[in-house]
Amino acid sequence: MKSSLKRVFCALLVIFVAVLPVMAQGSGESQQQTSGPIDIKIATWTSNQDQLDLLGSFVDEFAAKEGVEINATFESITFDEYNTLLSLELQGSEAPDVFWVLETSAPAFIESGLLAPLDEELAEYNPDDFSPKAMELWQKDGVTYAVPFSTSPFFVIYNADLFAQAGIPTPADLVAEGNWNWDTFRQSSKAIKDATGVWGFQTVDGGGYDARILHNLCPIIRSYGGDAWTNDGQILINSSESVEAVQLFHDMVYVDGSVVPPGDQSNFFAGAAGMTVAQVSRVSNLAEADFAWGVAPMPAGPMGDVPVIGQAGIGAYSRGKNVDIAKKLVAYMTNEECVARMAGIWPPARYSVLESDDFLSSQPLLTAEQMDMAVGSSIETGRVLPSHVMYPQIEVESRIVWDRLWNADADVKAVLDAVAQVYANYIN
Amino acid sequence: MPRKYSKLERGEALTGYLFILPQMIGFLILVLVPLIMIFVYSFESRNLLFGNMGFSGLDNYQKLVSDDLFFTTLKNTIVFSLGVVPLNLVLSLALALYLGANASGTKIVRSVIFLPVITSGVAWAIVFKYLFQGGTAGPINYMLSFFGIEGPNWLHEKGWAMLSVILTRVLKNLGMNVLIFMGAVMNLPQDVLEAGRIDGANKPLLFFKIKLPLLMPSILMVMIVTVIGSMRVFDTIKLMTDGGPEGSTMVLVYYIYHQAFKTFNIGYAATISVVLFIIVLILTIIQWSLRRRASFYED
Repeated sequence: MKSSLKRVFCALLVIFVAVLPVMAQGSGESQQQTSGPIDIKIATWTSNQDQLDLLGSFVDEFAAKEGVEINATFESITFDEYNTLLSLELQGSEAPDVFWVLETSAPAFIESGLLAPLDEELAEYNPDDFSPKAMELWQKDGVTYAVPFSTSPFFVIYNADLFAQAGIPTPADLVAEGNWNWDTFRQSSKAIKDATGVWGFQTVDGGGYDARILHNLCPIIRSYGGDAWTNDGQILINSSESVEAVQLFHDMVYVDGSVVPPGDQSNFFAGAAGMTVAQVSRVSNLAEADFAWGVAPMPAGPMGDVPVIGQAGIGAYSRGKNVDIAKKLVAYMTNEECVARMAGIWPPARYSVLESDDFLSSQPLLTAEQMDMAVGSSIETGRVLPSHVMYPQIEVESRIVWDRLWNADADVKAVLDAVAQVYANYIN
Repeated sequence: MPRKYSKLERGEALTGYLFILPQMIGFLILVLVPLIMIFVYSFESRNLLFGNMGFSGLDNYQKLVSDDLFFTTLKNTIVFSLGVVPLNLVLSLALALYLGANASGTKIVRSVIFLPVITSGVAWAIVFKYLFQGGTAGPINYMLSFFGIEGPNWLHEKGWAMLSVILTRVLKNLGMNVLIFMGAVMNLPQDVLEAGRIDGANKPLLFFKIKLPLLMPSILMVMIVTVIGSMRVFDTIKLMTDGGPEGSTMVLVYYIYHQAFKTFNIGYAATISVVLFIIVLILTIIQWSLRRRASFYED
């Protein structure tokens, strides 16, 4: 029986050795260029079919232009899990050829070498047209690794019906009066809650206490003169300006009780809050809203209007089997014509589109005046959210400390000091 | 001199090995190789974005020793297990005894208890996240308000968050353990119980002196499975608390996930996995040896 066991063990080893190359073949095959249609996989975090159709039409036009046949598949990954799943896929044989990149993780992706340089391909499509400020995040040592297809300022969307019920001026009225600032924002939020019982404000996508904490706090902090950190390595999250700004938001949640609190799933777009902060891509959620609504720029602080921009880039996978065609596709998708067609969803970084009359009428749900007030005027002056090559680590570790802020008797200064300590571990 | 096997015996043995071959191949490729790779990775500076940055010796293990968050997650895992395991065992045994007694309404209770087992873990966690909302938005707090109780913000307050995930997890897996215990309860030797009754044993005495010892093999088996399950909890934490607030529900497996897939530190995540493997291995060995000592009636 012993010899039989030995034989079986040997047979298993042989099978195992035979199976390993078959398993590894996936990545081996991926290097081979095959004839016939080219398979291109594009990873995004949108699952909106209209938006995917628009991107699909760019691929079709590009294929016709290049005289090639392309089988494009779009993979929609949820925003919260985007980096996790994308980075996993990039290590396997099913990696996307073209993918969106979050602004906060742009430095890490560029540093890792996963993004292919694009300057050669972009040269065909008037690269000087891109706003240098908008391109900063996506370049390293003068080389472009991704193109910002969206340079989208944050602005306030409000439920006009709730403002009417509360008998208070809308944010648009306050903008017209020149009185739209964080104090009047706070007063409006409280007045809505007191008069109607409905929450006055919901944080951006409801994630202001966790996944989108900096999206929520940065607009307030920066307009008070603070910041999370600066590009030259200064940590300002615990500066007196930042503390004052965060204290304002904390008081709105725990003193006024007017903000949708942590853990509550009330949603502005379902009519359960008076105001929220969003970007143009979220406006489509209002197409079937059963309440009157309007938009306004972010409130001003002691430093005046300090717009904050959320960016998203598109890049080509440097080790993909179709890297050359993927690079050309990225360049094509961000040419003037494509950018102009995307402008109503994802505001552009190209001057030619930004300065055109068509841009202001590109979002059918917003008037030209609203588009100019909330979006157009902020793109060139706004600043992107903080980013860093170690952002994933910073985000995960600081989240645990930020959590201390979300109770009524939190010491805001002490919490921000602790957050600053976490930042200091990574930012020099 | 080794005994010679007949052709028939060799054929039978070969047939047997052929039957287990698919399972063996699956085990080799999906369990053994990854397990070995985890040990290898734990000695490397490996990043999901940047790839393998070389052999790093014991650096990851040194980092582990000075990582406060690791010890917090270890403590959280123990608290979670200490909450889930006894609660699950006591409740499932009590329910099994009740259901085994064929009392009224047992069929309905049996169905209700088993329903969560066949429900998707993801759906279960999402529903409970909704139920455990803070303020009066959550149905649980809304009901508590009828009794004049102001419920906490369950998933966003330290302490309450851990309790919430423990309760959610216990209710999800209760049915399976009830089923195992019911099988054991129904197979209790009636003659022994009858002898006990004739000798004048009352119900508590009957339970503690006869039923409990007879059920010990099943109890220990269920305990091993529940302990290992509680050490591996992921979906409930991921969907309900994301490890918060302040890392108070960050358990070991979720910390491994965070290190590997949120901060991309595959090498360090592998090191924590090795520690988790050793903990589970030690616990299993202890419980198996307990099973041998405590199971008087096991063959």
